[in-house]
Amino acid sequence: MTELLAFIASHRAEMATRLGEHVVLVAASTAIAAAIGIPLGVLAARRPSLSRPIVGFANLAQTIPSLALFGFLIPLPFIGGIGTRTALVALTVYAVLPILRATITGLQGVPPAVVECAVAMGLTPRQVLRQVEWPLALPAIVSGLRVAVVIGVGTATIASAIGAGGLGDYIFRGLAMVDATVILAGALPAALLALAADAALAAAGQLADPRRRSRRHVVVLIVVTILAVTTLVSGRATSGRADLIVGSKNFTEQVVLGELMAQAIERQAGLTVERRLNLGGTAIAHEALLSGGIDVYAEYTGTSLTAIFKQPPSADSEQVFATVRDRYASVGLTLLPRLGFNNTFAIMVRGEDARRLGMKTVSDLAGQLRLKPEATPQATRQAAPKATAAWRAGFGYEFLERPDGFKGLNAAYGLAFGGAPRVMDLNLIYRAVAAGEIDVTAGDATSGLIGALGLAVLEDDQHYFPVYDAAPVARASTMLQYPAAAAALRSLAGRVSAADMRQMNFAVDGEKQDPAVVVRTFLDRIGGF
Amino acid sequence: MAHPAVQFVDVSVSRGGRGVLHGVSLSVAAGQTLALVGRSGSGKTTLLRLVNRLLDPDRGEVLVDGLSTRAWNAVELRRRTGYVIQDAGLFPHVTVAGNIATVPRLLEWPAARVEARVDELLTLVDLDPAVFRGRWPDELSGGQRQRAGLARALAADPPLLLMDEPFGALDPITKGELHVEFQRVQQTLHRAIILVTHDMAEACLLADQIAVLHEGELIACETPANVLASHDSRVTSLFGKLRLKPEATQQATPRGRE
Repeated sequence: MTELLAFIASHRAEMATRLGEHVVLVAASTAIAAAIGIPLGVLAARRPSLSRPIVGFANLAQTIPSLALFGFLIPLPFIGGIGTRTALVALTVYAVLPILRATITGLQGVPPAVVECAVAMGLTPRQVLRQVEWPLALPAIVSGLRVAVVIGVGTATIASAIGAGGLGDYIFRGLAMVDATVILAGALPAALLALAADAALAAAGQLADPRRRSRRHVVVLIVVTILAVTTLVSGRATSGRADLIVGSKNFTEQVVLGELMAQAIERQAGLTVERRLNLGGTAIAHEALLSGGIDVYAEYTGTSLTAIFKQPPSADSEQVFATVRDRYASVGLTLLPRLGFNNTFAIMVRGEDARRLGMKTVSDLAGQLRLKPEATPQATRQAAPKATAAWRAGFGYEFLERPDGFKGLNAAYGLAFGGAPRVMDLNLIYRAVAAGEIDVTAGDATSGLIGALGLAVLEDDQHYFPVYDAAPVARASTMLQYPAAAAALRSLAGRVSAADMRQMNFAVDGEKQDPAVVVRTFLDRIGGF
Repeated sequence: MAHPAVQFVDVSVSRGGRGVLHGVSLSVAAGQTLALVGRSGSGKTTLLRLVNRLLDPDRGEVLVDGLSTRAWNAVELRRRTGYVIQDAGLFPHVTVAGNIATVPRLLEWPAARVEARVDELLTLVDLDPAVFRGRWPDELSGGQRQRAGLARALAADPPLLLMDEPFGALDPITKGELHVEFQRVQQTLHRAIILVTHDMAEACLLADQIAVLHEGELIACETPANVLASHDSRVTSLFGKLRLKPEATQQATPRGRE
């Protein structure tokens, strides 16, 4: 709890922005949904033959999982793309059904005798609706709005995945960092917001009910409205007008790189930078860049080659960079110089084994595997003195299965392990090596745990693994508009080593430091910014 | 009066391919109360609803003040036709005063005149304005609701009043009180009234003319005394019990002839 309060205190300004974004998303989508759902509901209540298709369609829309809906919307023109607009469309889709249903239920609940009397007294159809049916259906409609708002507050957290901001940023960031405090920093305000919005609408409903109109409710409503507007305005004010927007995908290293580029631009070019970190994946980040939702994010050349441009992987760093740069250029994007590290698979052993046996490369390891018993790893000797030259390997399931994983590696280097490799959870392999349960594994070259657990990465001297060099990708037009930003990004070229990246990842994941602080320290250390 | 207040001319209505009314001809003069009686499904309510164009006849026509209802603007026609149904049909979200003021407000009367009219009507139906103006419909007893419903129907001083079993849901004592009230109001205001009822004693008590409907056909339209004297079995089956009680007949002697 104290951690949560400390986090909230240190992120006050950002939190106000996120909360503001969240409120805007929910308020705007509910308003649009009401503008669609209520007239449709009136129509459906009037024409029972239309009721079934209308409600059926709304039901169908409601059953689409939210992430899938975002996925469908991204490639669409006008309503799609990335950012607030798409999020609004999706949230509106979800909010329509409860409002539509409530409107139909409310109108059908008006006693027919009352409507007949109204007609017989000479009210026009419009007057019947406005003076009789509407006020009598209103309590039901308000309860539909309340349902829509509560659903909206929850669903809007997912909007973070497509760069619409909101409190979901913290939830996704916390999930990526496996940090419950950060998750709570998003989830708790979202829950409170849902309760507050529900209470505000309940008060508004009471206000609309002529029977229970009271001053107390007016006061509550006014207070809540003022609070909401203040949050909103302050949120908007803080976010201000940024010169450019830096994005990132939704894992720790990406968030750190996003922060790194943002701070580099801010410090060197003096521009204001907005951060849209934690986008829901490569495709979303790429779409965001194309549509102008963001101006720059860090991508890995190998990922661009295979995932975006659908080319076979390659281990030739220069060639991959050139290919990807040309492909990007043809869609109006600029690939800037590489940051300096390659986030590929890495074969790793315990640091002490590497030092003792003088292993620097995977070829060295292959040589050791073919050697005599005295070359056995230390842990094996201690645990099982009589063991033969049994280097035990353990890999994640994916690495064992994919063609560019273990099989290809074995073919390239001829690794003679003692027995079949063990299959392990990717999150456990690093600790399993450190604890001596296995001796060799393949992991993420920039994992923060490598340094923290004293593991050694062996160089892929046969260039077997595809390259995943990190480099900023930016909108060409933005780079032309802000040459200073382009210069700042260029001056990051080659400045981030794999060891630097590991250390920063560990500072965030392992030591729970704020990415912004970690990056500031790093930039201060390397100098030039 | 040149024209009867309401005149049905050879009116037929069918709903869903089934005849509900067959060639009914009938007229109601100003100041006269006509009771429509008959078994359930005999077409009483259908006939009533033709008058304010809640329904249109398939054949024949209904003349209101000598003009066919089809020629009337439906909204205008309804605003000059009071309408009272069982349990009053008051708007539950509006106070008693607001309910009564509905039509005057639609007619855009000045506010002061509306307020004065509400008080006048509440007094007429024996509800104390000071007590009942601000009451909500669900705070009223059945009898009070019916009085308020009558006041609402009379609000814009309509020359014609349609009542569909207005006293149907009331206990006998309250019903008796309201019968007295009704007679008093009618003696004061002298409207043309069409009253649908299944209570034969009520029909005899309140009406000048009783129209008996049987399976969509008008089989009698007579004074209460004549209806009670009828030998038509379809009529006598309806009034059977009353015929044995001469005092009911006595009581039902039409006012206005005295």
